[in-house]
Amino acid sequence: MGTAISNMLGAGEGNESEHSGVTKLSSSAQWQLHFNGMKDSNQLLVIDFSASWCGPCKSFEPAVRHMAVKFTDVSFVKVDVDELPEVAKEFDVTAMPTFVLMKNGKEVDRIVGAKQDELENKVTKHRGGDSDDDHHQMVK
Amino acid sequence: MLLLYILPNLFYKYHFSSTSHQALPLPSLSPHTNTNTHFLCSVLVATSSVLFYPQFFSDLPMAVSGFEGFEKRLELRFFNDSITNTNPIGLRLIDFESLDQVLNEVQCTVVSAVANHSFDAYVLSESSLFVYPTKIIIKTCGTTQLLKSIRPLIHLARNVNLTLRACRYSRGSFIFPNSQPFPYTSFEDEVVIVEESLPKSLRYRKASVMTPSNSNPSRAWHVFTASADVEPDESLVVVEVCMTELDRVNARSFFRRKGDEGNSDSAGKEMTRLSGIDMINANAFICDFAFDPCGYSMNGVDGDRYSTIHVTPEDGFSYASFECGLSLYDGGQGDIAEVLARAIDVFRPGCVSIATTYNGEDYDHEVTKRVERVLAKKLGLKCRSRLMDEFPGSGTVVYQSFTPRRK
Repeated sequence: MGTAISNMLGAGEGNESEHSGVTKLSSSAQWQLHFNGMKDSNQLLVIDFSASWCGPCKSFEPAVRHMAVKFTDVSFVKVDVDELPEVAKEFDVTAMPTFVLMKNGKEVDRIVGAKQDELENKVTKHRGGDSDDDHHQMVK
Repeated sequence: MLLLYILPNLFYKYHFSSTSHQALPLPSLSPHTNTNTHFLCSVLVATSSVLFYPQFFSDLPMAVSGFEGFEKRLELRFFNDSITNTNPIGLRLIDFESLDQVLNEVQCTVVSAVANHSFDAYVLSESSLFVYPTKIIIKTCGTTQLLKSIRPLIHLARNVNLTLRACRYSRGSFIFPNSQPFPYTSFEDEVVIVEESLPKSLRYRKASVMTPSNSNPSRAWHVFTASADVEPDESLVVVEVCMTELDRVNARSFFRRKGDEGNSDSAGKEMTRLSGIDMINANAFICDFAFDPCGYSMNGVDGDRYSTIHVTPEDGFSYASFECGLSLYDGGQGDIAEVLARAIDVFRPGCVSIATTYNGEDYDHEVTKRVERVLAKKLGLKCRSRLMDEFPGSGTVVYQSFTPRRK
Protein backbone atom coordinates (compact mmCIF):
# COMPACT_ATOMS: atom_id res chain seq x y z
CA MET A 1 0.00 0.00 0.00
CA GLY A 2 1.12 3.53 -0.56
CA THR A 3 3.16 3.07 -3.70
CA ALA A 4 4.91 6.21 -4.83
CA ILE A 5 3.96 5.66 -8.43
CA SER A 6 1.43 8.22 -9.55
CA ASN A 7 0.14 7.46 -12.99
CA MET A 8 -2.52 9.97 -13.82
CA LEU A 9 -2.31 10.06 -17.58
CA GLY A 10 -4.47 12.54 -19.44
CA ALA A 11 -4.94 10.70 -22.69
CA GLY A 12 -7.33 7.85 -23.07
CA GLU A 13 -5.73 4.48 -23.60
CA GLY A 14 -6.60 2.08 -26.32
CA ASN A 15 -7.11 -1.57 -25.92
CA GLU A 16 -3.79 -2.18 -24.21
CA SER A 17 -3.66 -5.18 -21.98
CA GLU A 18 -0.50 -4.17 -20.15
CA HIS A 19 -0.88 -0.94 -18.26
CA SER A 20 0.20 -0.23 -14.72
CA GLY A 21 -1.60 2.77 -13.31
CA VAL A 22 -4.89 4.60 -13.28
CA THR A 23 -5.94 6.44 -16.42
CA LYS A 24 -7.91 9.60 -15.88
CA LEU A 25 -10.62 10.21 -18.46
CA SER A 26 -11.43 13.90 -18.38
CA SER A 27 -13.50 14.49 -21.45
CA SER A 28 -16.46 12.90 -23.12
CA ALA A 29 -14.28 12.07 -26.11
CA GLN A 30 -11.68 10.32 -23.98
CA TRP A 31 -14.41 8.40 -22.19
CA GLN A 32 -16.10 7.27 -25.39
CA LEU A 33 -12.80 6.23 -26.93
CA HIS A 34 -11.76 4.12 -23.97
CA PHE A 35 -15.16 2.66 -23.19
CA ASN A 36 -15.97 1.70 -26.77
CA GLY A 37 -12.52 0.26 -27.15
CA MET A 38 -13.20 -2.12 -24.27
CA LYS A 39 -16.66 -3.23 -25.27
CA ASP A 40 -15.53 -6.27 -27.17
CA SER A 41 -12.71 -7.06 -24.85
CA ASN A 42 -12.58 -9.75 -22.21
CA GLN A 43 -10.35 -7.50 -20.17
CA LEU A 44 -11.77 -6.31 -16.87
CA LEU A 45 -12.41 -2.57 -16.73
CA VAL A 46 -12.62 -0.86 -13.34
CA ILE A 47 -14.18 2.61 -13.40
CA ASP A 48 -13.38 4.70 -10.32
CA PHE A 49 -16.05 7.39 -9.91
CA SER A 50 -14.80 10.14 -7.63
CA ALA A 51 -14.69 13.90 -7.22
CA SER A 52 -11.89 16.37 -6.63
CA TRP A 53 -13.49 17.46 -3.36
CA CYS A 54 -14.23 13.98 -2.07
CA GLY A 55 -12.12 13.28 1.02
CA PRO A 56 -12.96 9.58 1.17
CA CYS A 57 -11.87 9.25 -2.48
CA LYS A 58 -8.56 10.91 -1.67
CA SER A 59 -8.07 8.64 1.33
CA PHE A 60 -8.40 5.65 -0.95
CA GLU A 61 -6.20 6.78 -3.85
CA PRO A 62 -3.00 5.03 -2.70
CA ALA A 63 -4.84 1.72 -2.38
CA VAL A 64 -6.37 2.04 -5.87
CA ARG A 65 -3.02 2.95 -7.44
CA HIS A 66 -1.45 -0.02 -5.71
CA MET A 67 -4.11 -2.31 -7.11
CA ALA A 68 -3.65 -0.87 -10.60
CA VAL A 69 0.05 -1.64 -10.42
CA LYS A 70 -0.57 -5.09 -9.03
CA PHE A 71 -3.22 -6.14 -11.55
CA THR A 72 -1.57 -5.21 -14.83
CA ASP A 73 -4.13 -7.20 -16.83
CA VAL A 74 -6.95 -4.96 -15.55
CA SER A 75 -7.74 -1.53 -16.93
CA PHE A 76 -8.27 1.07 -14.20
CA VAL A 77 -9.83 4.37 -15.21
CA LYS A 78 -10.89 7.34 -13.13
CA VAL A 79 -13.90 9.53 -13.84
CA ASP A 80 -14.55 12.79 -12.00
CA VAL A 81 -18.32 13.13 -11.53
CA ASP A 82 -18.14 16.90 -12.03
CA GLU A 83 -16.13 16.59 -15.27
CA LEU A 84 -18.34 13.85 -16.71
CA PRO A 85 -21.70 14.20 -14.97
CA GLU A 86 -23.61 12.43 -17.74
CA VAL A 87 -21.45 9.32 -17.33
CA ALA A 88 -21.94 9.42 -13.56
CA LYS A 89 -25.66 9.66 -14.09
CA GLU A 90 -25.65 6.86 -16.65
CA PHE A 91 -24.05 4.63 -14.04
CA ASP A 92 -26.34 5.84 -11.26
CA VAL A 93 -23.53 7.05 -9.03
CA THR A 94 -24.88 8.61 -5.82
CA ALA A 95 -22.10 7.96 -3.32
CA MET A 96 -18.35 8.08 -3.73
CA PRO A 97 -16.05 6.53 -4.45
CA THR A 98 -18.01 4.05 -6.56
CA PHE A 99 -16.15 1.37 -8.52
CA VAL A 100 -17.98 -0.20 -11.45
CA LEU A 101 -16.51 -3.38 -12.89
CA MET A 102 -17.22 -3.95 -16.57
CA LYS A 103 -16.55 -6.82 -18.91
CA ASN A 104 -17.54 -7.01 -22.55
CA GLY A 105 -19.43 -3.78 -22.15
CA LYS A 106 -21.56 -5.13 -19.30
CA GLU A 107 -21.47 -4.32 -15.59
CA VAL A 108 -20.41 -7.40 -13.62
CA ASP A 109 -20.00 -5.89 -10.18
CA ARG A 110 -19.88 -2.68 -8.19
CA ILE A 111 -18.38 -1.45 -4.93
CA VAL A 112 -19.62 1.66 -3.16
CA GLY A 113 -17.27 3.27 -0.65
CA ALA A 114 -13.54 3.05 0.05
CA LYS A 115 -13.60 -0.66 0.78
CA GLN A 116 -10.20 -2.15 0.17
CA ASP A 117 -10.86 -5.84 0.83
CA GLU A 118 -14.05 -5.84 -1.18
CA LEU A 119 -12.51 -4.10 -4.18
CA GLU A 120 -9.49 -6.35 -4.21
CA ASN A 121 -11.62 -9.46 -3.88
CA LYS A 122 -13.97 -8.53 -6.67
CA VAL A 123 -11.21 -7.47 -9.03
CA THR A 124 -9.45 -10.78 -8.38
CA LYS A 125 -12.69 -12.64 -8.95
CA HIS A 126 -13.54 -11.00 -12.27
CA ARG A 127 -10.18 -10.44 -13.88
CA GLY A 128 -9.81 -13.90 -15.43
CA GLY A 129 -10.63 -13.97 -19.12
CA ASP A 130 -12.57 -17.26 -18.97
CA SER A 131 -16.14 -17.71 -20.10
CA ASP A 132 -17.28 -18.80 -16.65
CA ASP A 133 -16.82 -15.18 -15.61
CA ASP A 134 -19.30 -13.95 -18.17
CA HIS A 135 -22.43 -15.00 -16.37
CA HIS A 136 -21.91 -13.38 -13.00
CA GLN A 137 -24.92 -11.75 -11.47
CA MET A 138 -24.72 -8.02 -11.11
CA VAL A 139 -24.10 -7.46 -7.43
CA LYS A 140 -24.83 -4.09 -5.90
CA MET B 1 -2.01 1.05 50.65
CA LEU B 2 -5.19 1.97 48.98
CA LEU B 3 -7.50 4.37 50.68
CA LEU B 4 -11.02 3.56 49.78
CA TYR B 5 -13.71 6.19 49.59
CA ILE B 6 -17.19 5.08 48.88
CA LEU B 7 -19.90 7.56 49.61
CA PRO B 8 -22.95 5.53 48.70
CA ASN B 9 -25.58 8.16 49.22
CA LEU B 10 -23.77 11.36 48.51
CA PHE B 11 -23.77 12.57 44.93
CA TYR B 12 -22.46 15.91 43.75
CA LYS B 13 -22.48 17.53 40.38
CA TYR B 14 -20.77 20.82 40.01
CA HIS B 15 -21.08 23.50 37.40
CA PHE B 16 -17.67 24.74 36.44
CA SER B 17 -17.68 28.45 36.13
CA SER B 18 -15.16 30.58 34.39
CA THR B 19 -15.01 34.34 34.35
CA SER B 20 -16.32 34.43 30.82
CA HIS B 21 -19.22 32.21 31.68
CA GLN B 22 -22.61 33.79 31.24
CA ALA B 23 -25.20 32.52 33.67
CA LEU B 24 -27.88 30.69 31.78
CA PRO B 25 -31.29 30.84 33.38
CA LEU B 26 -32.45 27.25 33.82
CA PRO B 27 -36.10 26.73 33.04
CA SER B 28 -37.94 25.10 35.91
CA LEU B 29 -37.54 21.43 35.22
CA SER B 30 -38.69 18.28 36.96
CA PRO B 31 -37.48 17.54 40.50
CA HIS B 32 -34.99 15.06 39.02
CA THR B 33 -32.64 17.94 38.37
CA ASN B 34 -32.18 18.50 42.09
CA THR B 35 -30.17 15.31 42.15
CA ASN B 36 -27.84 17.05 39.74
CA THR B 37 -26.36 18.94 42.62
CA HIS B 38 -24.74 15.77 43.82
CA PHE B 39 -21.54 14.09 42.71
CA LEU B 40 -20.32 10.58 43.16
CA CYS B 41 -16.69 10.27 44.13
CA SER B 42 -15.34 6.77 44.47
CA VAL B 43 -12.28 4.63 44.09
CA LEU B 44 -13.47 1.08 43.80
CA VAL B 45 -11.64 -1.99 44.94
CA ALA B 46 -13.24 -5.33 44.10
CA THR B 47 -13.24 -6.95 47.51
CA SER B 48 -14.52 -3.90 49.34
CA SER B 49 -17.25 -3.32 46.84
CA VAL B 50 -18.64 -6.73 47.70
CA LEU B 51 -19.32 -5.49 51.23
CA PHE B 52 -21.16 -2.39 50.16
CA TYR B 53 -22.72 -3.47 46.91
CA PRO B 54 -23.20 -7.22 46.83
CA GLN B 55 -25.14 -6.88 43.62
CA PHE B 56 -22.34 -4.84 42.06
CA PHE B 57 -19.93 -7.76 42.16
CA SER B 58 -21.77 -9.57 39.43
CA ASP B 59 -21.56 -6.45 37.26
CA LEU B 60 -17.80 -6.22 37.55
CA PRO B 61 -15.99 -7.05 34.37
CA MET B 62 -14.21 -10.38 34.43
CA ALA B 63 -11.12 -8.78 32.96
CA VAL B 64 -9.05 -6.38 34.98
CA SER B 65 -8.95 -4.30 31.90
CA GLY B 66 -10.23 -4.71 28.36
CA PHE B 67 -11.08 -2.60 25.36
CA GLU B 68 -12.90 0.57 26.29
CA GLY B 69 -16.03 0.85 24.20
CA PHE B 70 -17.31 4.12 25.66
CA GLU B 71 -16.50 6.90 23.26
CA LYS B 72 -15.38 10.48 23.62
CA ARG B 73 -17.30 12.68 21.23
CA LEU B 74 -16.28 16.04 19.85
CA GLU B 75 -18.42 18.28 17.68
CA LEU B 76 -17.15 21.51 16.14
CA ARG B 77 -19.53 23.86 14.33
CA PHE B 78 -18.54 26.80 12.19
CA PHE B 79 -20.20 29.98 10.93
CA ASN B 80 -21.58 29.49 7.45
CA ASP B 81 -21.14 33.00 6.12
CA SER B 82 -18.27 31.89 3.92
CA ILE B 83 -20.30 29.11 2.35
CA THR B 84 -21.09 30.52 -1.06
CA ASN B 85 -21.60 29.32 -4.59
CA THR B 86 -17.86 29.49 -5.14
CA ASN B 87 -17.20 27.62 -1.91
CA PRO B 88 -20.18 25.39 -1.25
CA ILE B 89 -18.38 22.66 0.59
CA GLY B 90 -16.55 24.44 3.40
CA LEU B 91 -14.75 21.97 5.66
CA ARG B 92 -14.93 19.25 2.99
CA LEU B 93 -12.29 21.27 1.15
CA ILE B 94 -9.72 20.38 3.80
CA ASP B 95 -7.34 17.99 2.08
CA PHE B 96 -7.36 14.43 3.29
CA GLU B 97 -3.63 14.33 4.11
CA SER B 98 -4.14 17.08 6.70
CA LEU B 99 -7.11 15.29 8.24
CA ASP B 100 -5.11 12.09 8.33
CA GLN B 101 -2.35 13.86 10.27
CA VAL B 102 -4.88 15.05 12.85
CA LEU B 103 -6.19 11.50 13.18
CA ASN B 104 -2.61 10.32 13.73
CA GLU B 105 -2.35 12.69 16.69
CA VAL B 106 -5.56 11.23 18.08
CA GLN B 107 -4.16 7.73 17.46
CA CYS B 108 -6.64 6.37 14.96
CA THR B 109 -6.73 5.71 11.21
CA VAL B 110 -9.30 5.45 8.44
CA VAL B 111 -10.40 1.90 7.63
CA SER B 112 -13.33 2.69 5.34
CA ALA B 113 -15.04 5.77 3.96
CA VAL B 114 -17.82 7.03 1.71
CA ALA B 115 -19.10 10.42 0.61
CA ASN B 116 -22.31 11.74 -0.88
CA HIS B 117 -23.38 15.23 -1.88
CA SER B 118 -23.94 16.30 1.72
CA PHE B 119 -21.05 14.98 3.78
CA ASP B 120 -18.03 12.69 4.12
CA ALA B 121 -18.19 9.70 6.46
CA TYR B 122 -15.08 7.86 7.64
CA VAL B 123 -14.99 4.65 9.65
CA LEU B 124 -11.92 4.80 11.88
CA SER B 125 -9.88 2.15 13.65
CA GLU B 126 -11.46 3.49 16.81
CA SER B 127 -14.82 4.89 15.69
CA SER B 128 -16.02 7.58 13.27
CA LEU B 129 -15.44 10.95 11.65
CA PHE B 130 -18.07 12.99 9.82
CA VAL B 131 -17.24 16.10 7.81
CA TYR B 132 -20.04 18.42 6.75
CA PRO B 133 -19.54 21.86 5.17
CA THR B 134 -19.77 23.59 8.56
CA LYS B 135 -19.65 20.76 11.08
CA ILE B 136 -17.18 18.09 12.13
CA ILE B 137 -18.07 15.20 14.41
CA ILE B 138 -15.35 12.88 15.73
CA LYS B 139 -16.20 10.04 18.02
CA THR B 140 -13.39 7.82 19.29
CA CYS B 141 -13.17 4.96 21.77
CA GLY B 142 -10.35 3.02 23.41
CA THR B 143 -7.60 5.19 24.84
CA THR B 144 -7.50 7.74 22.05
CA GLN B 145 -6.41 11.34 22.57
CA LEU B 146 -9.42 13.02 21.03
CA LEU B 147 -8.92 16.48 22.49
CA LYS B 148 -5.59 16.81 20.68
CA SER B 149 -7.60 17.30 17.50
CA ILE B 150 -9.27 20.56 18.55
CA ARG B 151 -6.48 23.04 17.83
CA PRO B 152 -5.37 21.53 14.50
CA LEU B 153 -8.97 21.29 13.27
CA ILE B 154 -9.69 24.93 14.11
CA HIS B 155 -6.49 25.83 12.26
CA LEU B 156 -7.37 23.74 9.19
CA ALA B 157 -10.84 25.31 9.14
CA ARG B 158 -9.35 28.78 9.23
CA ASN B 159 -7.32 27.87 6.14
CA VAL B 160 -10.60 27.35 4.28
CA ASN B 161 -12.02 30.57 5.73
CA LEU B 162 -14.23 29.06 8.39
CA THR B 163 -14.60 30.49 11.88
CA LEU B 164 -15.49 28.37 14.89
CA ARG B 165 -18.95 28.98 16.29
CA ALA B 166 -19.58 26.21 18.83
CA CYS B 167 -17.96 23.19 20.41
CA ARG B 168 -19.49 20.28 22.27
CA TYR B 169 -17.59 17.52 24.05
CA SER B 170 -19.50 14.62 25.57
CA ARG B 171 -18.98 11.15 26.94
CA GLY B 172 -20.44 8.54 29.25
CA SER B 173 -18.52 6.90 32.10
CA PHE B 174 -15.63 4.64 31.17
CA ILE B 175 -15.81 0.95 32.00
CA PHE B 176 -12.04 1.08 32.70
CA PRO B 177 -11.45 4.63 33.87
CA ASN B 178 -7.98 3.83 35.23
CA SER B 179 -6.80 2.72 31.80
CA GLN B 180 -7.35 6.15 30.30
CA PRO B 181 -4.39 8.47 29.73
CA PHE B 182 -4.31 12.04 31.05
CA PRO B 183 -6.51 14.11 30.88
CA TYR B 184 -9.26 11.51 30.48
CA THR B 185 -8.88 10.28 34.05
CA SER B 186 -10.97 13.20 35.24
CA PHE B 187 -13.62 15.27 33.53
CA GLU B 188 -12.33 18.44 35.18
CA ASP B 189 -8.97 17.90 33.48
CA GLU B 190 -10.66 17.30 30.14
CA VAL B 191 -12.61 20.52 30.52
CA VAL B 192 -9.43 22.47 31.26
CA ILE B 193 -7.84 21.11 28.08
CA VAL B 194 -10.88 21.86 25.93
CA GLU B 195 -11.20 25.38 27.32
CA GLU B 196 -7.55 26.11 26.62
CA SER B 197 -7.95 24.98 23.02
CA LEU B 198 -10.91 27.21 22.23
CA PRO B 199 -10.86 30.88 21.18
CA LYS B 200 -12.27 33.47 23.58
CA SER B 201 -14.99 34.28 21.05
CA LEU B 202 -16.82 31.19 22.34
CA ARG B 203 -17.82 33.00 25.47
CA TYR B 204 -20.86 31.02 26.62
CA ARG B 205 -19.54 27.90 28.33
CA LYS B 206 -20.89 25.22 30.59
CA ALA B 207 -19.66 21.91 31.95
CA SER B 208 -21.97 19.43 33.60
CA VAL B 209 -21.91 15.87 34.89
CA MET B 210 -25.41 14.40 34.85
CA THR B 211 -25.42 11.64 37.44
CA PRO B 212 -28.43 9.43 38.11
CA SER B 213 -28.78 8.89 41.81
CA ASN B 214 -29.62 5.24 41.62
CA SER B 215 -27.58 3.74 38.80
CA ASN B 216 -25.31 0.86 39.63
CA PRO B 217 -22.56 1.09 38.50
CA SER B 218 -22.81 4.83 38.29
CA ARG B 219 -22.99 5.80 34.66
CA ALA B 220 -22.97 9.55 34.40
CA TRP B 221 -23.19 11.66 31.25
CA HIS B 222 -20.51 14.33 30.90
CA VAL B 223 -21.09 17.38 28.71
CA PHE B 224 -19.09 20.49 28.00
CA THR B 225 -20.34 23.11 25.55
CA ALA B 226 -18.91 26.40 24.41
CA SER B 227 -20.63 28.70 21.97
CA ALA B 228 -20.40 32.17 20.45
CA ASP B 229 -24.18 32.45 20.90
CA VAL B 230 -26.55 31.20 23.53
CA GLU B 231 -29.01 30.10 20.88
CA PRO B 232 -28.17 26.84 19.10
CA ASP B 233 -27.48 26.99 15.38
CA GLU B 234 -27.98 23.29 14.68
CA SER B 235 -31.45 22.12 13.74
CA LEU B 236 -31.06 18.36 14.00
CA VAL B 237 -31.57 16.55 17.29
CA VAL B 238 -28.67 14.26 18.20
CA VAL B 239 -29.29 11.00 20.04
CA GLU B 240 -26.40 9.13 21.66
CA VAL B 241 -27.17 5.63 22.94
CA CYS B 242 -24.69 3.64 25.04
CA MET B 243 -25.35 -0.02 25.75
CA THR B 244 -23.51 -2.45 28.01
CA GLU B 245 -24.00 -6.10 29.02
CA LEU B 246 -25.01 -7.04 25.49
CA ASP B 247 -27.01 -10.20 25.05
CA ARG B 248 -24.38 -12.91 24.56
CA VAL B 249 -26.10 -14.57 21.63
CA ASN B 250 -26.59 -11.26 19.81
CA ALA B 251 -23.01 -10.26 20.54
CA ARG B 252 -21.74 -13.42 18.85
CA SER B 253 -22.74 -11.99 15.48
CA PHE B 254 -19.88 -9.53 15.85
CA PHE B 255 -17.09 -12.09 16.00
CA ARG B 256 -15.29 -13.04 12.78
CA ARG B 257 -16.01 -16.57 11.63
CA LYS B 258 -13.32 -19.02 10.58
CA GLY B 259 -13.14 -19.25 6.81
CA ASP B 260 -14.79 -15.93 6.03
CA GLU B 261 -12.06 -15.29 3.45
CA GLY B 262 -10.30 -12.72 5.61
CA ASN B 263 -12.38 -10.01 3.99
CA SER B 264 -13.28 -7.28 6.49
CA ASP B 265 -15.79 -5.71 4.14
CA SER B 266 -17.82 -8.79 3.32
CA ALA B 267 -17.67 -9.91 6.95
CA GLY B 268 -18.92 -6.46 7.90
CA LYS B 269 -21.74 -6.71 5.40
CA GLU B 270 -22.75 -10.10 6.81
CA MET B 271 -22.82 -8.68 10.32
CA THR B 272 -24.96 -5.75 9.18
CA ARG B 273 -27.46 -8.09 7.60
CA LEU B 274 -27.54 -10.87 10.23
CA SER B 275 -27.83 -8.50 13.16
CA GLY B 276 -30.68 -6.50 11.64
CA ILE B 277 -28.68 -3.28 11.65
CA ASP B 278 -29.68 -2.72 8.02
CA MET B 279 -33.32 -2.46 9.11
CA ILE B 280 -32.84 0.35 11.64
CA ASN B 281 -33.04 2.80 8.76
CA ALA B 282 -33.75 0.90 5.55
CA ASN B 283 -33.09 4.03 3.48
CA ALA B 284 -29.52 4.49 4.65
CA PHE B 285 -26.44 3.35 2.77
CA ILE B 286 -24.31 1.44 5.26
CA CYS B 287 -20.52 1.64 5.19
CA ASP B 288 -19.49 -1.18 7.50
CA PHE B 289 -16.30 -2.83 8.70
CA ALA B 290 -15.61 -5.97 10.74
CA PHE B 291 -12.51 -5.98 12.94
CA ASP B 292 -10.34 -9.02 13.62
CA PRO B 293 -10.95 -11.12 15.71
CA CYS B 294 -14.11 -9.26 16.70
CA GLY B 295 -15.67 -5.83 16.74
CA TYR B 296 -17.79 -3.93 14.27
CA SER B 297 -18.31 -0.39 13.09
CA MET B 298 -20.66 1.24 10.64
CA ASN B 299 -21.59 4.66 9.37
CA GLY B 300 -25.04 5.14 7.86
CA VAL B 301 -25.53 7.76 5.16
CA ASP B 302 -29.03 8.92 4.23
CA GLY B 303 -29.12 12.27 2.42
CA ASP B 304 -27.70 14.72 4.94
CA ARG B 305 -28.44 12.42 7.89
CA TYR B 306 -25.73 10.37 9.55
CA SER B 307 -25.89 7.41 11.89
CA THR B 308 -23.17 5.34 13.44
CA ILE B 309 -22.84 2.10 15.39
CA HIS B 310 -19.80 0.65 17.14
CA VAL B 311 -19.65 -2.73 18.82
CA THR B 312 -17.22 -4.27 21.30
CA PRO B 313 -18.74 -7.73 21.70
CA GLU B 314 -16.42 -9.39 24.22
CA ASP B 315 -18.11 -10.75 27.31
CA GLY B 316 -17.11 -8.93 30.47
CA PHE B 317 -16.85 -5.53 28.81
CA SER B 318 -19.33 -5.77 25.95
CA TYR B 319 -20.50 -2.43 24.64
CA ALA B 320 -22.40 -1.01 21.70
CA SER B 321 -23.21 2.56 20.76
CA PHE B 322 -25.78 3.96 18.39
CA GLU B 323 -25.91 7.60 17.40
CA CYS B 324 -27.86 9.54 14.81
CA GLY B 325 -28.95 13.03 13.92
CA LEU B 326 -32.61 13.30 13.17
CA SER B 327 -35.62 15.50 13.07
CA LEU B 328 -38.19 14.70 15.76
CA TYR B 329 -41.13 14.98 13.47
CA ASP B 330 -39.85 13.21 10.38
CA GLY B 331 -42.51 10.57 10.02
CA GLY B 332 -40.32 9.02 7.32
CA GLN B 333 -38.49 6.26 9.13
CA GLY B 334 -40.87 6.02 12.01
CA ASP B 335 -40.38 8.36 14.89
CA ILE B 336 -37.39 8.58 17.19
CA ALA B 337 -38.87 6.02 19.61
CA GLU B 338 -39.22 3.41 16.86
CA VAL B 339 -35.70 4.02 15.56
CA LEU B 340 -34.28 3.68 19.08
CA ALA B 341 -36.26 0.52 19.74
CA ARG B 342 -34.96 -1.10 16.54
CA ALA B 343 -31.37 -0.11 17.32
CA ILE B 344 -31.46 -1.30 20.93
CA ASP B 345 -33.21 -4.54 19.95
CA VAL B 346 -30.17 -5.54 17.89
CA PHE B 347 -28.17 -5.82 21.11
CA ARG B 348 -30.70 -6.57 23.88
CA PRO B 349 -28.41 -4.93 26.45
CA GLY B 350 -28.61 -5.23 30.22
CA CYS B 351 -28.10 -1.51 30.55
CA VAL B 352 -28.87 1.39 28.19
CA SER B 353 -28.44 5.12 28.43
CA ILE B 354 -29.82 7.63 25.98
CA ALA B 355 -28.60 11.21 25.78
CA THR B 356 -30.76 13.42 23.57
CA THR B 357 -29.43 16.84 22.59
CA TYR B 358 -32.23 19.03 21.33
CA ASN B 359 -30.10 21.79 19.78
CA GLY B 360 -32.45 24.26 18.08
CA GLU B 361 -35.53 22.10 18.55
CA ASP B 362 -37.81 22.98 21.45
CA TYR B 363 -37.90 20.41 24.21
CA ASP B 364 -40.92 18.16 23.87
CA HIS B 365 -41.79 16.15 26.96
CA GLU B 366 -44.15 13.98 24.93
CA VAL B 367 -41.17 12.66 22.98
CA THR B 368 -39.34 11.74 26.18
CA LYS B 369 -42.37 9.92 27.51
CA ARG B 370 -43.03 8.16 24.21
CA VAL B 371 -39.47 6.83 24.07
CA GLU B 372 -39.90 5.44 27.60
CA ARG B 373 -43.27 3.90 26.72
CA VAL B 374 -42.03 2.27 23.52
CA LEU B 375 -38.89 0.86 25.11
CA ALA B 376 -40.92 -0.52 28.00
CA LYS B 377 -43.52 -2.06 25.73
CA LYS B 378 -41.29 -3.44 22.99
CA LEU B 379 -38.12 -4.31 24.89
CA GLY B 380 -39.19 -4.61 28.51
CA LEU B 381 -36.82 -1.81 29.48
CA LYS B 382 -37.75 0.28 32.47
CA CYS B 383 -36.59 3.87 32.72
CA ARG B 384 -34.62 4.15 35.99
CA SER B 385 -33.65 7.79 35.79
CA ARG B 386 -34.31 10.87 33.76
CA LEU B 387 -32.20 14.01 34.03
CA MET B 388 -32.31 17.26 32.11
CA ASP B 389 -30.07 20.25 31.71
CA GLU B 390 -29.64 23.25 29.40
CA PHE B 391 -26.48 24.14 27.52
CA PRO B 392 -25.42 27.22 25.57
CA GLY B 393 -25.36 26.43 21.87
CA SER B 394 -26.83 22.95 22.40
CA GLY B 395 -30.20 23.55 23.99
CA THR B 396 -31.79 20.94 26.21
CA VAL B 397 -30.04 17.66 26.96
CA VAL B 398 -32.07 14.79 28.38
CA TYR B 399 -30.27 11.79 29.88
CA GLN B 400 -32.28 8.63 30.47
CA SER B 401 -31.07 5.27 31.74
CA PHE B 402 -32.85 1.94 31.42
CA THR B 403 -32.47 -1.62 32.64
CA PRO B 404 -34.70 -4.62 31.97
CA ARG B 405 -37.80 -4.91 34.07
CA ARG B 406 -37.27 -7.64 36.66
CA LYS B 407 -39.47 -10.65 36.09
